[in-house]
Amino acid sequence: MALLSEVKKNYGVLKNFVNGEWIDSTSSKVIDIENPSTGEIIGQVPMSTADETKAAIEIADEAWLAWRDTPPITRARIFFKLKELMEQNFEDVARIMVQEQGKTIDEARGETRRTIENVEVAAGIPSLMMGYNLEDGAAEGIDEDAVITPLGVFGAICPFNFPAMIPYWFWPYAVATGNTYILKPSSQVPLTQYYLTKLVEQAGFPPGVLNLVNGSHEVSDTMMEHPKVKGISFVGSSPVAKYIYKHSAEHGKRVQAQGGAKNSLIVMPDAVLDRTVSNMLASYYGCAGQRCLAGSNLVAIGNIGDPLLKKWLEGSKKIRMGYGLDESVNMGPVVSAKAKKKVIEYIDSAEHDGAKILLDGRNAKVPGYEKGHFVGPTVIDQVTPDMKVAKEEIFGPVVTYLRMDSMDQAIDFIHSSPFGNAASVYTSSGKTAREFRHRCQCGNIGINVGIVAAMAYFPFAGYKDSFFGDLHGQGQDAIKFFTDRKVVITRWF
Amino acid sequence: MVECDFPECTTFGSVIRFALELEKGAAGVYEELAKEPKAAPAAEMFRGLAAAHKKRGELLEFTRQQKLNEMILEPIQDMKRENYLIDTKTPKGVDVKAAAKFVRKIEETSARFYLDSSMIAKNLMAEAARVMEKLGKECQANKAKLDAL
Repeated sequence: MALLSEVKKNYGVLKNFVNGEWIDSTSSKVIDIENPSTGEIIGQVPMSTADETKAAIEIADEAWLAWRDTPPITRARIFFKLKELMEQNFEDVARIMVQEQGKTIDEARGETRRTIENVEVAAGIPSLMMGYNLEDGAAEGIDEDAVITPLGVFGAICPFNFPAMIPYWFWPYAVATGNTYILKPSSQVPLTQYYLTKLVEQAGFPPGVLNLVNGSHEVSDTMMEHPKVKGISFVGSSPVAKYIYKHSAEHGKRVQAQGGAKNSLIVMPDAVLDRTVSNMLASYYGCAGQRCLAGSNLVAIGNIGDPLLKKWLEGSKKIRMGYGLDESVNMGPVVSAKAKKKVIEYIDSAEHDGAKILLDGRNAKVPGYEKGHFVGPTVIDQVTPDMKVAKEEIFGPVVTYLRMDSMDQAIDFIHSSPFGNAASVYTSSGKTAREFRHRCQCGNIGINVGIVAAMAYFPFAGYKDSFFGDLHGQGQDAIKFFTDRKVVITRWF
Repeated sequence: MVECDFPECTTFGSVIRFALELEKGAAGVYEELAKEPKAAPAAEMFRGLAAAHKKRGELLEFTRQQKLNEMILEPIQDMKRENYLIDTKTPKGVDVKAAAKFVRKIEETSARFYLDSSMIAKNLMAEAARVMEKLGKECQANKAKLDAL
């Protein structure tokens, strides 16, 4: 099967998009953008300066005055136009994502769909942003209204694992509610947002409403510290999320900072084995294990341990690795050489700690892609809860297999983790499922579902060290995060 | 001869790609047969079926773009590519009967592909499964029309 074509072989040095114009960064510092499947350099991203970031914030602040006066229905119409453009360019968006991130084309198409869904939900802003009132609410003849208002400039600092979707958990809601925005994509995967922002430009958003500033810490710190930025959204690792939360809050910002995860999938003895295995394969190996909702620990309860492991190994061995532009590939590489090294170190540590590597992806090779950062599906048996691989986020296609006697024990194990992003149970018992969802202290619970990814109209975030903040991304929470309530009491003489 | 590139059916995307190749192959064969002098009495029908197969390709593209759910992208491990390959080397100088016999085989294989893939898709994406089932039934209906020639 021939590979799907790449949109471009090389994208050159990226520009920033500020005040409706594409401008070169003044920074001489650039970093290479690598295709993780081929090892080719496909572009360069500038490390924009603090001054450039400050200038973008000032422009966004100026643009806010007119944008907040733009009626919600008019704002919504531009989002409808953006949706149309995204549908027209759907395949290009997905292929760029494969090229820079390494995921498979199906995963990229799925992510593009979810990105569009956030635009669709944000386009409903006239209904979503309505306030409320009570006639004679204050006293007879005195009415009381709560009006939902935007706040000003918001910003996002985004990760590498979902180059299209994660920025769209935030900015469409911020802008639809009447705010303006500074978006900093991951410097590892900036191409997808670069391309999408070209569509934003075509859709007709006024200059300064959405600004794209490429870079790294300097851009992030400036956004967190600038007095005109009202709030920060972040997705990444827990230590950085904690820093972002603290640092932004110190500067008076609203913050939603999503961190790491260590998700356990629990398989009960009454699980429907074939369907369970098929569904879990997508969870552990999808996006090469680089989802914050990916399965990591696989906990077999009671006597299902051996039959499940046998089926799991059979399924794992059939996973086809390769360049995601081959549509028959099930799994791409991890994002970089550094990421690969980290995953391999975790597998080494498991071996050192006495676990048994039943399927070893450390030396995986994909013919024709020798420079790609591939780690094959890895299954580690005889893992115990105290091992490093059972406790820490690996972010690779590695399954740590644990056996426990009961769901109680599994829930205790889940609760012993500092993370609380997601957990799933596979069972055919409604009672077991109900008990699991009730007791389990995680932000996202799956019942026979291994990737508990909230749709655009539901909120998304974890518990504990997986999330720092109050209001989650997406859905009604996003509307609340990007707005405030103003109470108006009216009396006419 | 219509060039087709059939992938292994291991993912949702590759199943849709396989289907698109089937449609391209079928449309191309019908178009070529419509030009065969000895098959002229069925030329209009063949042209109609070619157009229908092209249109089905559009439906498949739409399905790939709209019905994909990232949450349930499970690998597909039970569909063998070899079971659904079609012959797209259009025979030359054939009359209506021989032409109909050739494309009947294509419709039959395509129907089997769609109905089998709809069973698998049912577990993954019910919406896509409905599209596959519809296309499979259309292939069966096409075959019935060809049987009457």
